[in-house]
Amino acid sequence: MSPDHILFRNVSKFYGEVLGVNKVNLEVASGLTGLVGPNGSGKSTLMHLMTGLLRPSRGEVSVLGISPDHPEELFRKVGYCTQYDNFPNGSTGLSFLQFALALHGYQKSEADERAWAALARVGLTDAANRRIAGYSKGMRQRIKLAHAHCHDPQILVLDEPLNGLDPMGRAEMIDLFTELAKEGRHVIVSSHILHEVDVISDGVIMIHGGAIVAEGEIREVRGEITSHPIQVLIRCDRPHTVASRLFELEHIVEARVVEDEGLLVSTRDAPDFFNKFNRIVIDTGVVVETVAPADESVHAVYDYLIGEGLGGGSA
Amino acid sequence: MTNSKPLVQRRQVLTLARHEVGRSLFSRRSLAVYLLVGMPLALMLLRALFMPGSMRADATHATTEFAEVFHFFLLRFVVFFANAMIFVRLFRGEILEKSLHYTLLAPLSRTVLVIGKYLGGVVSASLILVLTTTLTYILVFLPHGAAGVQLLLSGSGIANLASYLLIVVLACFAYGALFMLAGLFFKNPMVPAILFLGWETLTPFLPAFLKVLSFVHYLVSFAPVPVSLGAFALLARPVSWWIALLALFTTSALLVFVASRVARHLEVTYSAD
Repeated sequence: MSPDHILFRNVSKFYGEVLGVNKVNLEVASGLTGLVGPNGSGKSTLMHLMTGLLRPSRGEVSVLGISPDHPEELFRKVGYCTQYDNFPNGSTGLSFLQFALALHGYQKSEADERAWAALARVGLTDAANRRIAGYSKGMRQRIKLAHAHCHDPQILVLDEPLNGLDPMGRAEMIDLFTELAKEGRHVIVSSHILHEVDVISDGVIMIHGGAIVAEGEIREVRGEITSHPIQVLIRCDRPHTVASRLFELEHIVEARVVEDEGLLVSTRDAPDFFNKFNRIVIDTGVVVETVAPADESVHAVYDYLIGEGLGGGSA
Repeated sequence: MTNSKPLVQRRQVLTLARHEVGRSLFSRRSLAVYLLVGMPLALMLLRALFMPGSMRADATHATTEFAEVFHFFLLRFVVFFANAMIFVRLFRGEILEKSLHYTLLAPLSRTVLVIGKYLGGVVSASLILVLTTTLTYILVFLPHGAAGVQLLLSGSGIANLASYLLIVVLACFAYGALFMLAGLFFKNPMVPAILFLGWETLTPFLPAFLKVLSFVHYLVSFAPVPVSLGAFALLARPVSWWIALLALFTTSALLVFVASRVARHLEVTYSAD
């Protein structure tokens, strides 16, 4: 059991006859990891398995070397923000966190201190003594985040944490996740909104129909998809000149000038393309503004692997 | 936080128990329990209001009257169902509210979780039912005026009340453990609760070897005033108080232990519940 990774070994989960996840093998290191998949793909099941809210039908899960069968050890190191939007009846933001921290065994003074710190971090200090039942969707999302990280866990598992937040709130929360990941924590964020994951994640886990279809850094994953040519967008002063020279290369599939964007090139051999492109620039004296991958995004990779959109769009 | 494990576990148990007491006594759902325990009080108030003058003058029957009310209404109906309502909700209530996961996401063993909730339930049920029994007892004696009050405050009056309260508290431990387990096992625990009530009601008519499988058999052994159970009741040798205590506490502990084992395998699948 790895003491600093989250491990899934051949994990399957069935709900009666219905498949939740199937034969999952995963190793998640520290940093910000995006868990991507359409609704019903098994993201929440995977997160529940990670935190012991569900038991695997087969296989084994280990979180920092701890089995989820030992909640008394696990939840000193793990915080989980679930997708459930329910709270204990009558709780205020403050009492909700105080109860959670008291269950961690903190004395009242320390529990109070931590509760106020967590409320401040998610911007809910002013609403601390209001009932959660009267909170907006965004505020409820924030209080769940505060609940997940109020005990300073090493691993944060966040199921669709940006749902219901306004753009400003999203930006603040994304900053918070990034900050927490930079502090050396594992932050695992699920989303069905791909551009969100693109913005925040170091690595990505793609799930579809209960099976992991890809995992790793998005560039690595994209590099392994040989069935689709890699797309590169070039902004330069003479795109037509560059296009005509590029067509001399065998691995160039397409070179198309896109108005207001630049020259979109599709190639089956990216390393050779970049070598030869440098030569072309020197030979022709073209002034290049940017050269950037055009399909090294979670969205593109997901589309290539699954062959369908996610439905959630880019809210 | 550098506290020892037993100290942390004790704090966790107390936190859970306090939380459950708050939920059981002050939540909106407690209203059903308060309506239930209000029934014997309302009945005794009506009895006091409409009691004929000739009966008022004679307080000697009050002791027997309360014994009958206690056996046939308080213990077998009010105490039974109040415990069912309070203890079934410890887990099932949170599953229905979809808020159980917050407790399951805390660093506490499932055994600590079960013990904390159980103790919270016992304290809440005992508080409510001890108060109900005491008030009902007082209301039985009060209409008889000075004679009633004298009987109530006499040595036997207080001792009898103490015995009834002991029965109520022991019932909270025993029925509580059973109903908490039922709340973990069944989606609708009221069905097995009603079946168990049937069994408890039949106890007087069962042979001795089957009587031992009911709680009421042990509970009534602490009753200070015997009551007639009817012509068809099968008499059995009374259980001594220490056997009754041992049986009730051992069974309760066993049920709590089983509940903690069941809780270890508890999963959060609200949509299926």
